[in-house]
Amino acid sequence: MEPPSDIELVQEVRNGRRQAFTALMRRYQERVYWVARRIVGSHDDADDIVQETFVKAYLALGEFRGDSSFFTWIYRIAVNLSLNALRKRQVLNYLHESELLSRILPSSDDPGKDLENSEIESALQRAVATLPEKQKAVFVMRYYDEMTYEEIGRVLKTSVGGLKANYFHALRKVREYMRHEIQDGEKPPYG
Amino acid sequence: MKYRMERNPLTGEAERELASEIRQLAGSAAEESSRPPDAYWQNLVVKINGKIDDATSGKALSISWAARVAIPGVVAIVSFLVGLHYYVPDTARYAPSVADVVFALPPAAIDSLLIDPSRADPSLSVVDVATDVFVFPRQQIADYFIDNGNPGAAVDGMSDREANTILAVLASAHK
Repeated sequence: MEPPSDIELVQEVRNGRRQAFTALMRRYQERVYWVARRIVGSHDDADDIVQETFVKAYLALGEFRGDSSFFTWIYRIAVNLSLNALRKRQVLNYLHESELLSRILPSSDDPGKDLENSEIESALQRAVATLPEKQKAVFVMRYYDEMTYEEIGRVLKTSVGGLKANYFHALRKVREYMRHEIQDGEKPPYG
Repeated sequence: MKYRMERNPLTGEAERELASEIRQLAGSAAEESSRPPDAYWQNLVVKINGKIDDATSGKALSISWAARVAIPGVVAIVSFLVGLHYYVPDTARYAPSVADVVFALPPAAIDSLLIDPSRADPSLSVVDVATDVFVFPRQQIADYFIDNGNPGAAVDGMSDREANTILAVLASAHK
């Protein structure tokens, strides 16, 4: 017997069968987790985002019209939440750099270090972390998830041409970063 | 534009070459080592279901709704009603008409209000006084003057048409 489709599960949730949503979560939790993790760079942030994504999706399920697939819809929520988390982190980083937060928060030897992602272990993750947010989102979806530009366009609601340019710039930046860091043993000056 | 396209060839081939080079540089072990354990995925579903329960239960809904809307709204309405009860004047008790007040005065006081100005300035008619101060019916004022022994003032208040009518009546009576 074939497993029920996403649309069938969504319909069951709408009919009050909550277990159908659990099935949807089990189906997509890893992919949602990883897109968030690759954009924000840390497990803790990704954990928060994947939870918030599914809660938001459940509460907004009535608005899901089925124009795109359930996965595209939930993926869009996750990417938007991840980009929002990045922006918040940038604001916090800015505050730390301007030493405003150091007067409010408990003192630390290196306050900025608390915000840096200690879990960024690989050169690739560090390279991705240096990308602008739009390029980062496109890179994660294309490079890791191997989504088509049309699918990415539906998630980010943007044109395929712009996405291709974004991905190409991202690839070149990542490659340059990794060449510098791995082959020369030093971080490139940007990032 | 042509120059930019040559510098940034957006071809599938160039893209694949770049991605392939990055994969070689990155290897594949790093991300696998940071994958959460299987127990995490089990717990994740439980945590999300718990959050959904909180978000959809009446308690969570009522607390957030009450904090943001209901409590401030009720406080504002109660404050308004209390203020309305204590601070709005009782119009039935405290607002007698001007006419009532004037006619409650002794005649001398009324004279000081209405007659003295007309005496001070002979050109000022009763009509002017009434219009400016109290807006009484002219007939009522004329009756008042006649009753209080000053019919001349009543004549001053007549219009030309009224005066002509009275003169015509008097002339026919003398004939």
